[in-house]
Amino acid sequence: MTQAKEKEKQHATKVGVYICHCGGNISDHVDVEAVRRRLEKVPGVAVARTNMFMCSDPGQELIAEDLKNGVVDRVVVASCAPSLHETTFRNAIRRAGANPYIYEHANIREQVSWVHHGAAATEKAATLVEAAAAKAGLLRPLTPIRVTAARHATVIGGGVAGLSAARDLADRGIPVTLVEKSPCLGGQLARLDRIAPTGERAPELVRALADAVLNHPHITVFTDAQVIATDGYIGNFKLTVRQEVASEAFTGTEACYIPFSGMRPAGPSPSEPREFNLETGAIVVATGFRSYEPRQGEYGFGDFASVITLPTLIRKMAEQDTEGSFLEIDGRRIRSVAMIHCVGSRQIPGIHPEDASGRLNEYCSRTCCTATLNAACRIRETHPGTRVYELYRDIRTYGRGQEELYEQAARDGVVFLRFEPDQAPEVVRADPTDGYPLKIRVTDTLTFSENLEVPADLVVLSTGMEPNDVSDLVEMMKLPVGVDRFLLEVHPKLRPVEMPVGGIFVAGTCQAPFDVGETCNAAGAAAVKAASLLAEGHVELDPFVAEVDAERCKGSGACVEACLNPGALALVEMQIGGQTVRRAQVTPALCLGCGACVAVCPENAIDVCGMTLSQYEAMVDAIVADQVAADALR
Amino acid sequence: MTVPSQAKGNKILVLATESCAYPGADSVGQAHSTYPTNVYILRVKAPVLFPERFYLDCFRKGIAGIIVMSCGEECPYDGAYHALARRLDRVYQAMKAQGMDIRRLRLTAICTVCNRAFLNEVNQMNELVQKPAAGEPGQENG
Amino acid sequence: MDNSRNVDFDAVVIGGGIAGLQSALDLADQGYTVAVVEKDASVGGKMIRLSKVFPTLDCASCITTPKMAAAAHHDRITLFTYCDLQSLRRTGGMVRAEVQQKPRYVDAHKCIGCRQCEYNCPVMVSDREQGGFSPTKAIAIPFSNAIPQIAVLNPQHCMLCGRCEKVCPTQAIDYFQEPRSFTLTAKVALITTGFEMTTLGDKPQYGRGRIPNLIDALQMERLLAPHGPYNRVLRPSDGKVPDRIAYIQCAGSRDKSMGVSYCSRVCCMYAIKQAMLLSGALPLADITIYYMDIRAFGKGYEQFFQNAQAMGINFVKAKVAAVEPGPDGAVRLHYEAQDGDGVSTAEHDMAVLSLGLIPAWNPEGICPLATGPDHFLESPRPKLSPVATVMEGVFTAGAAVGPKDIVDTITEAGNAAMAAGKYLAALRASSARKHLVA
Ligand SMILES: Cc1cc2nc3c(=O)[nH]c(=O)nc-3n(C[C@H](O)[C@H](O)[C@H](O)COP(=O)(O)OP(=O)(O)OC[C@H]3O[C@@H](n4cnc5c(N)ncnc54)[C@H](O)[C@@H]3O)c2cc1C
Ligand SMILES: Cc1cc2nc3c(=O)[nH]c(=O)nc-3n(C[C@H](O)[C@H](O)[C@H](O)COP(=O)(O)OP(=O)(O)OC[C@H]3O[C@@H](n4cnc5c(N)ncnc54)[C@H](O)[C@@H]3O)c2cc1C
Ligand code: SF4
Repeated sequence: MTQAKEKEKQHATKVGVYICHCGGNISDHVDVEAVRRRLEKVPGVAVARTNMFMCSDPGQELIAEDLKNGVVDRVVVASCAPSLHETTFRNAIRRAGANPYIYEHANIREQVSWVHHGAAATEKAATLVEAAAAKAGLLRPLTPIRVTAARHATVIGGGVAGLSAARDLADRGIPVTLVEKSPCLGGQLARLDRIAPTGERAPELVRALADAVLNHPHITVFTDAQVIATDGYIGNFKLTVRQEVASEAFTGTEACYIPFSGMRPAGPSPSEPREFNLETGAIVVATGFRSYEPRQGEYGFGDFASVITLPTLIRKMAEQDTEGSFLEIDGRRIRSVAMIHCVGSRQIPGIHPEDASGRLNEYCSRTCCTATLNAACRIRETHPGTRVYELYRDIRTYGRGQEELYEQAARDGVVFLRFEPDQAPEVVRADPTDGYPLKIRVTDTLTFSENLEVPADLVVLSTGMEPNDVSDLVEMMKLPVGVDRFLLEVHPKLRPVEMPVGGIFVAGTCQAPFDVGETCNAAGAAAVKAASLLAEGHVELDPFVAEVDAERCKGSGACVEACLNPGALALVEMQIGGQTVRRAQVTPALCLGCGACVAVCPENAIDVCGMTLSQYEAMVDAIVADQVAADALR
Repeated sequence: MTVPSQAKGNKILVLATESCAYPGADSVGQAHSTYPTNVYILRVKAPVLFPERFYLDCFRKGIAGIIVMSCGEECPYDGAYHALARRLDRVYQAMKAQGMDIRRLRLTAICTVCNRAFLNEVNQMNELVQKPAAGEPGQENG
Repeated sequence: MDNSRNVDFDAVVIGGGIAGLQSALDLADQGYTVAVVEKDASVGGKMIRLSKVFPTLDCASCITTPKMAAAAHHDRITLFTYCDLQSLRRTGGMVRAEVQQKPRYVDAHKCIGCRQCEYNCPVMVSDREQGGFSPTKAIAIPFSNAIPQIAVLNPQHCMLCGRCEKVCPTQAIDYFQEPRSFTLTAKVALITTGFEMTTLGDKPQYGRGRIPNLIDALQMERLLAPHGPYNRVLRPSDGKVPDRIAYIQCAGSRDKSMGVSYCSRVCCMYAIKQAMLLSGALPLADITIYYMDIRAFGKGYEQFFQNAQAMGINFVKAKVAAVEPGPDGAVRLHYEAQDGDGVSTAEHDMAVLSLGLIPAWNPEGICPLATGPDHFLESPRPKLSPVATVMEGVFTAGAAVGPKDIVDTITEAGNAAMAAGKYLAALRASSARKHLVA
């Protein structure tokens, strides 16, 4: 469109300007009436009104009335920050039967009345509203992009999170494919025994969940499988899944639970690796965690056979499941066990050494305090002869029923010693005369920093959680990763289970350490978002995407090169005026709307809808208008 | 009453990203901190949208300073920040060629709670544009 | 919309805090109609009353208001505010909620929230929404970002002078408004009634609430809020800028003698948060947190704690045994330091009690839900189904099922909406089957 044409259009539109007092928040510093009078005179502005609270129902009604009566066809509200009420006003416009994208917001509270005072505040407010009106005059009605969505979801990972999310979605009638890398379902929960604080048996929980999933008519499970390629976008993902030949042959006709591995689905796996494609509308990433592996020599790990990790202890205790005065591990009678908290968690720069790739786990692993206390209580209960020491920094029994476990441990005679991070306990070989293989030197702050030596037959390291390595998925699906290496949600409170790429959600411990209940909550939260997305069979996306003016486009391809999201822009052959030409074409569902293409087009042939370059130029013109006028007078 | 006209010729344009810097500016408002009134903030999805000529046009139209407040490395559009930085380098070249003070165009990263950084940026730019050489002499501070 | 004509819904949500709002939104987005019953005059719960929220330190209002507004404007959500729940029962496969709306003495349909009544009312009343630190009027909008923006008259303080009635541009004042009872029916219910804090009044060791400048953490939230009572942090007794501020952790939690033996889960983090905000507002102030264990367990929380230490906030591992008034408005603490020598005392200009969290609602006599020994609602399967209750078709989320921070509350609310959605989907499927058979 030529500039002249756009000017013409601007004057053809009828902009309504609505200025809010915000109950004094704005009007105490901005002369709202003066702004209204100034706006009223701006060419293209049909009406300018004020209201005590534009966001109130009567305020919204003002806009609706003017739209219905044909007084205005573009709307500017000058009020608080758009983050608060832009959608409110777009919805009001929609309810009035108009297109919600004919709306522009002017922020005269957070960016005027709360930061400026006096006449200058009024002047700036008026200028900002003029700029908004100038842009509004150039706005076009837009239609949200409607993308048909495959009524199918894919869950990656078959731990508690994945199983739970798959079942939730299937129960809502959505077909689900679950892809699990290992031969079994259940993830890390299958490696536990009695879980805290409820005392439920982990195998039973895994079995219950896995049975529900394996017997669900809407769920297809692939074990020994991984997603190896992804393509497409929200509602229309195309995944390639590769299923390996199972490492051990398994031909059972019924699913069976293998202790410390999980639930093995029925039937043989393919005789050779196979790859297949999946079309899916939404993806839930639930790839979970792995336990921290202590460094060689960390608290004697690797140096002494009797230094083991908590998961190992849990397994050994479950596998022997004997009673008797003393705990026995590997045939050795354990008279005294020392458990050290925060191994591989809560690491502090300058105190803890970095790992081979230069990283520290600065976070708390959340579940290990309770799991350690749980194990300690169990030892004291079933093997009252075994003494238990816990060496900790803070006891984090934050959840329901957890503090009770802490109290129980104290009651049952577990001895607590507290150390400072820069005075970490030392695990050393004991003198032959001590009668114990190991001893731990610790400066205990609970006894006024006395230096104590704890004799031990067994040292247990409460190792924390690290996210599983999913760098392939991160790369393929553009998943953000936090400094802690866990997957990073868009916003912890506003969009806690969403990834920035639409249609991809996270669930469970791939996002952060969680216990089982919290993992199920996260899975349900992810599933509900996916279910809402797929409920309608189509997805509506914001129309703020690039649009090519085919008349202007010369097919230079500069935009395609600049585009940041491969696939969103391409040069395609088309017929124009009987000739075959190459022109840029946008795939709206993939376009991020960032505008990287706009800046590079030599022909001005591409723009982002709702925020075109000429709209920005019009705003700048409005901002400098007084100056231009002043210069003209000179 | 009529709206009094304020200092002209020293306007600062801020291009603020909708996910970081714009809410950052709102946060300054929530704290009721004050800054010069000649600062005009436009909300942008990503400043990578603007071609070189947009900046030069703004200066030509009379904008005295431009601050591009991006999300920096945390930009939600992978690669946009680097494309933007390269573009601004070219604008600097053009500004130099036209004998303009390149300090009038700033690229910074402002997050949603960077109140102090925001205030620093706008105050510094304001100092620059208030200098007699930059604007018309003898103007009030807005 | 605050509207009460339609009384049949797919779901009824009891409690309009962040848990209730999030689950209402997640249910409505799945296509179900939802009623939200809130006892206060505004939705938003505790969160809308906070200053900034850990661990991201974003402004509480900025995160809550969009959700409040989205719920208020959602086509499938109806808000019933200022309503008491009288009973909630399951009969004939439906949930019936008997609700009584308290009189605002203002016609909710007429009020436009212009505040003329508030500006003109001559009666000053201590404003609970501002921690009692500043006055409001006997008729007022509950607080600046309340939803809905409808004035409420306080009959205890109103002198019936009639000024509000005269100035109201829409004749919305109704001195004779009566409580109004109605029944909402739905197929599922969600209980998201949240928490309260234990009160200072019943704690002899903390002076039963009579020590000047010993305040609770919610009051400190108000002092720190951008729209707080003083617009900055001042000591309530004399308006002095405090130099030494103390936090007393586990003041009423993890302590049987105080009736709350469990951990209240959020106090470590909010104390650290407030300390950080304070050191921003008062760079020279000395801030000390007396604690037993620092429970910074959530995502990003440990780093938050480390940052606070790096900022120079003092952490003293000690249990504060008693508090008494000191000279010149100071607060004197007696504590047993775990790494010092026995009992010590310290004086601070001001002290904040991190009081325990207790359930806001007791189901007794209202509906047959089970509670745990801590009196919070309880799920029969807390691991695999944390949002279930012992009643069929009734789910729960948020601080109503145990103390919880916002992040955990929001995900749990999503799960509750999922569970309720599944239940509704199964109902639909079975009624469709019945329809086919018949
Ligand atoms: C020592 C210890 C004790 C614990 N004790 C308790 C307790 O007492 N109570 C409690 O509530 N919680 C406890 N927990 C926590 C509990 O184990 C976790 O909350 C739970 O297992 C998390 O489940 P998840 O599904 O998120 O992850 P995981 O269980 O790790 O599941 C992830 C699944 O994804 C699969 N996967 C990974 N990558 C891929 C890929 N690329 N493609 C496909 N599949 C993939 C994995 O093979 C795995 O099956 C404990 C944890 C530990 C370490
Ligand atoms: C001082 C303090 C600071 C905090 N700071 C933070 C922070 O920085 N970050 C963070 O993550 N968390 C913080 N929290 C925790 C946060 O407040 C809670 O996580 C959150 O409010 C829980 O939300 P909810 O909806 O479950 O409960 P609530 O916020 O309590 O909401 C419950 C709602 O239900 C209503 N209700 C109750 N009973 C009934 C009934 N019978 N009928 C109808 N309605 C009823 C109530 O009026 C209320 O509106 C803080 C808590 C405190 C005390
Ligand atoms: S849960 Fe306990 S042991 Fe685990 S990292 Fe956190 S503080 Fe340390």
